[in-house]
Amino acid sequence: MNKSIVGTVIVFISVFFLLVSLSYSENSETFPQRVISLSPSITEELYLLGAEDKLIGCTTYCIRPKGAKTKEKVGTVIEVNLEKIVMLNPDIILATSLTDSKAVEKLKNLGIKIESFPASKNFNELCNQFLKLGKIVGKKNKAEEIVNDAKNKIDIIKRKTENMPHPTIFVQIGSSPLFAATDDYFIDDFINFAGGINIAENSKSGLYSREEVIKRNPDVIVIVTMGIAGDKEVKIWKNYKTLMAVKNNRIYILDSYRLCSSTPVSFVDTLKDFVEILHPEKRKINL
Amino acid sequence: MLEIRNLTCGYGAKTVLHDISLDIKEREFVGIIGPNGSGKTTLLRAITRILKPQSGVILFGGKDIWRLSFRELARKIAVVPQDFTAGDMSAEEFVLLGRIPYFGKIQFLESKRDFEIAEKCMTLTDTLKLKQHRMAEISGGERQLALVARALCQEPKLLLLDEPISHLDITHQVGILDLIKKLNREYKLTVIMVLHDLNMASEYCNRLILLNNGRIQKSGLPEEVMQYKILEEVYKTVVVVKKNPISSKPHVFVVSEEEKQKREKN
Amino acid sequence: MRKKIIRWIIWIGVLGAFLLAISVFSLCVGSADISVKKVISLLFKAGSGSEYSILFDIRLPRIILGFAIGGALGLSGVILQGMFRNSLVEPYTLGISGGAALGVSLSIISGLYRINVLNMPVFGFLGAVVIIILIYALSMQRGILKMQGLLLTGVMISFISSSLIMLIMSISRAEDLHGIVFWIMGSLEEPNWFLIKIAVFISLISLFVSYFFCHDLNALSLGEEEALHLGINIERTKRLLFLISSLLVGYSVSVAGIIGFVGLVVPHFVRMFAGNDHRILLIGSFLTGACFLIFCDTVARSIIAPVELPVGVITGILGGTLFVCALTKKRIIAGEK
Repeated sequence: MNKSIVGTVIVFISVFFLLVSLSYSENSETFPQRVISLSPSITEELYLLGAEDKLIGCTTYCIRPKGAKTKEKVGTVIEVNLEKIVMLNPDIILATSLTDSKAVEKLKNLGIKIESFPASKNFNELCNQFLKLGKIVGKKNKAEEIVNDAKNKIDIIKRKTENMPHPTIFVQIGSSPLFAATDDYFIDDFINFAGGINIAENSKSGLYSREEVIKRNPDVIVIVTMGIAGDKEVKIWKNYKTLMAVKNNRIYILDSYRLCSSTPVSFVDTLKDFVEILHPEKRKINL
Repeated sequence: MLEIRNLTCGYGAKTVLHDISLDIKEREFVGIIGPNGSGKTTLLRAITRILKPQSGVILFGGKDIWRLSFRELARKIAVVPQDFTAGDMSAEEFVLLGRIPYFGKIQFLESKRDFEIAEKCMTLTDTLKLKQHRMAEISGGERQLALVARALCQEPKLLLLDEPISHLDITHQVGILDLIKKLNREYKLTVIMVLHDLNMASEYCNRLILLNNGRIQKSGLPEEVMQYKILEEVYKTVVVVKKNPISSKPHVFVVSEEEKQKREKN
Repeated sequence: MRKKIIRWIIWIGVLGAFLLAISVFSLCVGSADISVKKVISLLFKAGSGSEYSILFDIRLPRIILGFAIGGALGLSGVILQGMFRNSLVEPYTLGISGGAALGVSLSIISGLYRINVLNMPVFGFLGAVVIIILIYALSMQRGILKMQGLLLTGVMISFISSSLIMLIMSISRAEDLHGIVFWIMGSLEEPNWFLIKIAVFISLISLFVSYFFCHDLNALSLGEEEALHLGINIERTKRLLFLISSLLVGYSVSVAGIIGFVGLVVPHFVRMFAGNDHRILLIGSFLTGACFLIFCDTVARSIIAPVELPVGVITGILGGTLFVCALTKKRIIAGEK
């Protein structure tokens, strides 16, 4: 009899401590309160997660959404001003693979926590990074919510475009030299999800020859804005009158910001644009 | 003092000097003469270690010059080159460069003795007044004197001069050669001078060496070397040799085409 | 002569004081505003906190590296100009910087620099060493180091390296491309204290050793033949001086990237004010180069804060303008005489 009482008490105490320690660890997981973002897409994502009040500094390129413009500036995407960062006394810095490695090293030496987000190559990676970000700033649930919503919308779009014709497309992201979006970029995902075929998908490097494009004769050509160079490129393409894209007047220019640095939400928006481009006959897919 | 034995040297495949042997004794004032391309400058270069001989040996004071260190050689032999462009420095700084062979391993500034010697050399060459002048601003003749002063600072036993007067007017020509003669006579300096001007060479040197096609054509007193037959053979031009009325040294007179034709008519 | 020595000592004193002043100035200036009073108090009382960290972990290492690299570039500039007897020669003419840049580019695209950040300067230095050996071997002819050959070979190698680097850039990914371009633009940001200490060590040792050749350089200004007549062992001198300046340039470029103009303009400057004697030129160029680079770096990191300009841009603009001004002024003064 005594043994069973002692045994029960021990079990209760253990469970009690277990529960306490579990809740303790959840509460003691103090999330950073002062965050600096070194990338425009990370800044945008923080706003999406509702974590913008934790943002104490960002780059001069962080202009979306509007609120980001008023935040303290700590440099560009590549070059960061270390003094500014130290003065702001951050808990964590969110960097990318573009950030100057020496600066990253320096910040680590100064004892400041820094988390690096390499450029995502496809939608999956984009989502994983978004989830990682959510976990770091303590908005795990919100992040999962947003990602699931985006995934759903994309599934719907995929299903709708499945039965549509699959045009071939060439997306140009550089002018001299001519650079194509291969499967290394999540532009490839835009194309595939919108039901298109990327002619440069399996190309080893992005360097592409104009002749190759003409040979493959894509139905659509998309040029990522590069200022004046973009308009020039359109003119050059129009010279090749045998191209399907030229004959059917399907050369488009798209905003580089959307195509190159994205959040899961903006990904869906841009995907809709892509669907419009690829399937002009089906105007405005309703979601 | 300087012994040259079977010296053959040249530039790459081209041999300029063939089997040259000569002895220069102390206190001699030797003039090296010869037509263009006969190897005068090459000989000087071989003596100063700029050119490595293909065969043969050069001894200074009994020692092979290629066994001596550069510094040791610079303390024994000093070279006065033809005129050149100096950097932007004062005449005094330029002359003091001649003391470099005497600087200690870690000597950084010139010593008092260096200054004294430089001053003495400049006084000798009458360039003391140019002390603070920039080298670029002084005249050609003064530059040549400064060069001599610098060479003297090396306290050499042998002084080599390469065409020291070719670009000077007669005042400076005589001035420099008188100075060299004085250095040779009073200060016991051995002198080897490469010269184009046959008459000046005859006037001042006590021995002449006539080079032709890289070989010694004739070596000896001016009277022995400056004979019209020898000179005509080497210089391939008609000359007349007569004695200088003042010094009795042989002098060369050229015979121009006009004169030749006048004589032939008669 | 006494006068000359006194003038030299005054010059060294003035430059030293200038160096100190500029260092303090650089310490006080930055995008984080720290008042001069605060700086002085922090200097004497060790503390902690972000301001202390900014001064000693961010600004001070840059000042020290600026001293080492600026001095190295100034010194190698004056040595090379003395060796080549050509006042348009600068440390990068020999192509060593091209080799270092090539080495660094390779380390970036091969991804090796992500494994250990130290790989970048190591590769840079290796690249520089390869080029040094190459041009040395190509310019040696029967035991004589041909200076003209050295110059031409160096220039050619510079061109070849730039083309190779452009090739690497055209096939690299965006992030690597940024890394390469960034590195080439030059920066005094170096997180590794060890590398900074080595830079200072190499610079100071080179300065010390170069003084053994001050007379040789003076003699060389008359020409190689003349120097030989004066008893200088010119082959040995050329080789050692080449080694010293190559080492200085190679190391500087590996750590700080390509910071042009310093090695070209600083010796001219010092010559204008202090004369042609290498005994003052060596240390004069060292100190002036150090002051100049520290100043330019300070301007680069504070003029449009928080954005930082590459220091090479400032050295080019500032150096060029100052030089032209000084040249014109001297001409006017000389003309009036």
